[in-house]
Amino acid sequence: MSIVETKIRDLPPASLAPAKTNSIEQIRYGCAIGALQSVAAIPRAIPITHCGPGCADKQFMNLAFYNGFQGGGYGGGAVVPSTNASEREVVFGGAERLSELIESGLKILDADLFVVLTGCISDLVGDDIGAVVRPFQERGIPIVYAETGGFKGNNFTGHELVTRAIIDQFVGDYAGEQQTGVVNLWSLLPYHNTFWRGDLTEIKRVLEGAGLQVNVLFGPESKGVSEWKAIPTAQFNLVVGPWLGLSTARHLEHKYGQPFLHVPVLPIGSNETARFLREVLDFAGITAGPARDKAEAFIADEEARYYKYLEDFTDFYAEYWWGLPAKFAVIGDATYNLALTRFLVNQLGLIPARQIITDNPPDEFREEIRAQYRRIADDVATEVDFEEDSYAIHQSLRQTDFGHKPPIIFGTTWERDLAKELKGVIIEVGFPTSYEVVLSRSYVGYRGALTLLEKIYSTIVSRSA
Amino acid sequence: MPINLKTAVVETREQRLGTIIGWDGKASDLSHESAYARGGCASKCGPKARRICELRGPFTQGSICSEQMVECQAGNVRDAVLIQHSPIGCGAGQVIYNSIFRNGLAMRGLPVQNLHLISTNLREKDMVFGGIAKLEQTIRDAWERHHPKAIFIGTSCATGIIGDDVESVATALEAELGIPVIPLHCEGFKSKHWSTGFDATQHGILRQIVRKNPEKKQEDLVNVINLWGSDVFSPILGELGLRVNYVVDMATVDELAQMSEAAATVGFCYTLSSYLAAGLEQEFGVPEVKAPMPYGFAGTDAWLREIARVTNREGKAEDYIRNEHARVKPKLAELREKLKGKKGYVATGSAYAHGLIGVLRELGVEVDGSLVFHHDPVYDSQDPREDSLAHLIDQYGEVDNFTVGNRQQYQFFALLQRVKPDFIIIRHNGLAPLAARLGIPAIPLGDEHHAVGYQGMLNLGESILDVLAHKKYHQDLAAHTKLPYKKWWLDQKDPFLFARSV
Repeated sequence: MSIVETKIRDLPPASLAPAKTNSIEQIRYGCAIGALQSVAAIPRAIPITHCGPGCADKQFMNLAFYNGFQGGGYGGGAVVPSTNASEREVVFGGAERLSELIESGLKILDADLFVVLTGCISDLVGDDIGAVVRPFQERGIPIVYAETGGFKGNNFTGHELVTRAIIDQFVGDYAGEQQTGVVNLWSLLPYHNTFWRGDLTEIKRVLEGAGLQVNVLFGPESKGVSEWKAIPTAQFNLVVGPWLGLSTARHLEHKYGQPFLHVPVLPIGSNETARFLREVLDFAGITAGPARDKAEAFIADEEARYYKYLEDFTDFYAEYWWGLPAKFAVIGDATYNLALTRFLVNQLGLIPARQIITDNPPDEFREEIRAQYRRIADDVATEVDFEEDSYAIHQSLRQTDFGHKPPIIFGTTWERDLAKELKGVIIEVGFPTSYEVVLSRSYVGYRGALTLLEKIYSTIVSRSA
Repeated sequence: MPINLKTAVVETREQRLGTIIGWDGKASDLSHESAYARGGCASKCGPKARRICELRGPFTQGSICSEQMVECQAGNVRDAVLIQHSPIGCGAGQVIYNSIFRNGLAMRGLPVQNLHLISTNLREKDMVFGGIAKLEQTIRDAWERHHPKAIFIGTSCATGIIGDDVESVATALEAELGIPVIPLHCEGFKSKHWSTGFDATQHGILRQIVRKNPEKKQEDLVNVINLWGSDVFSPILGELGLRVNYVVDMATVDELAQMSEAAATVGFCYTLSSYLAAGLEQEFGVPEVKAPMPYGFAGTDAWLREIARVTNREGKAEDYIRNEHARVKPKLAELREKLKGKKGYVATGSAYAHGLIGVLRELGVEVDGSLVFHHDPVYDSQDPREDSLAHLIDQYGEVDNFTVGNRQQYQFFALLQRVKPDFIIIRHNGLAPLAARLGIPAIPLGDEHHAVGYQGMLNLGESILDVLAHKKYHQDLAAHTKLPYKKWWLDQKDPFLFARSV
């Protein structure tokens, strides 16, 4: 039985909807060289950019600064090394310029890993970056390169290119043993996801609580390059999210014979997190015995604590006089969109009115993502749209039936005015989040779910008077 | 050298003004090497600005590009659309300039809205076959979605290299849509300094928006070329019976168009206003106020008197100047007492720094070092009354450690070691985080008008007192942080070591 059946019914007939064009208004991702932030997310790694003078500043300021004001990290920020390519590099090529930048940079910068990222200029004029970088690699310098010209794709694409470059050129071949109970985690896109630091910390915490050892690879909990070097020694790769990281996991399967587990739903809340942990434990082969018992004890302990807080919250949730939203929309990347939708539907009993995925997942993954929304709960099915142009997204939200109450919109800064127009509430949960300061905050797992409840309902209550 | 509006492409700063981005020495030496009267340039460099020897090294850190300045100017015109003809990455700038635009609108009491920037989102195959069809589509989308009063098109490194003919499509659609469709050539690689992007925007506005043959003259209207700053010019110019026309950010297209009707043009910083002000005078006869910038007593006095002279309001200015001196001086004396013995460091855009150093000296704050992000040996008017660096030196004396560098953080460490300031004043990102890790707090001047005029001296003095209290935070941080530079480099005394050894 389906008590809630939402469809794509509120969209106008195809003939009335504006035809999709190439235009993207109010962007929701950067370009491939935005993956310089993925490098900055690895402790003591420094990106070296071979691009125009504005590219590094642009990607940093927007992905990392005006998105939760996350900061630049150790060697990142607006002032990472850059060739600041000029007309000379366009006309004569920039290989020599890059080489002198690297050579001088090695004297100045203190890092464990350098990642060269190229921009449009280099990729268009055809600089041979491999020929520049290889001599440094041959000298034993920890340096790799990825060709990340902006026209090649968005920063999700760039992230996978950079990840692969580090694996192939720095981690290298491995034919030794793999260690049971050790897992490499591939999940949120660093910096682009505003809450990635706190979220990865929570995912690592619960996995370790369940008895696994986690190479988290990015963020404050990562041990840096030693953890990357240890990638081939892990028992398996764990991809958490609908699609990002899958190509890396496939590559690692091929390269090191490492199996991978794909869990499409980033877990939020007790039920999702327990289900997630049990799936990972099963895959790791920890199905019974003392190790499983210990993991089950951890889950029970976390669950008890979670529900104590949820009980206390219930007084508010059941008794608050002044009305709480019933219908919601989520506008965001596939990972957070799916995770939030499942939590809001299954934990809070909210009604999905519009879900729009904005990170342009490759076509091969879209049908499976749609299927996830069609079984979002035992008794709730919904449809999901894929759209990156904010004009179209906002038109779609305007045409959505949010029922008799103001909606709650989980989106970005781009939706602030629209939420007002719809007399609803905005919770900024994705890029760009320009009106939140985010440090270690997490919205996932056990602890993050409680923080998310605080955020949602503080926002609503604070609007009361 | 006159401004050339005949072509769609703006001449870069280095072509017009001889702009440099690397120099280190005494402020007076830089002033002498620059083009104005004291340099005796005329005989040596003809119509072009005098060339200054520039330091260049192999190591550089990320700068800023011209296209970003187009975004933050043309992209913040309230009823226009800016199309970014580029791969999606250039569009990332929409985020920062949206945030600044919204906060600026709120500060100025204007309706808050998101900016209207659209990326043509070029992909790999467009690099092969060209992106013109997508540009045309996006222009049509911009029109159908927003019915803007003007459409700007910002180019990118990618479209510059593949050679898209942006002008043809702009011309055709301008005729079809009946609104200005304005190509702004701002490829990042074309200029070594981002301020060329200001000029690119202003070039397009002068060519295609400013009313060519104004029927009326608004003799009480003054163009104020600024960014998002709070409205401090209306009260000041109001004393002279003048109204303010703020341009370019947050203006409407009509406010841009009426610039040719104004009685005069002023700015808060010649780096920003040089091109547009000179162009308005050259093409439309709107006089540019040629005076020191409005910072400190001497600068503000001279600036007001020149505005009054140009707009025929001399008497009113003298009353205002007298009253403001009387009002501000006792308060300034109190601030000077509190700030005694403090040392400041200014790291901002070029002309703006010249003004701010003057204000610090009025406050009794010691300034023996400054970093400017570029240096224009001359501004477009070529009028020595605008020589802001000479004004600084003549009024307030030498700055011993005067450095030109386009935001190179690795050099900033040694620069700060030279002078060990108690605080820094800064606008652009990338340097304050380093200072912070050394225990030095920064005043990020988001409101660029904060230090303008007589009241500006008091404003800045109060802000310094606020930020000195911040020192606790920074010193605590400094004890718990590590910089990404090798000890060998941090031990070097000369920030231009590599440049000099090449």
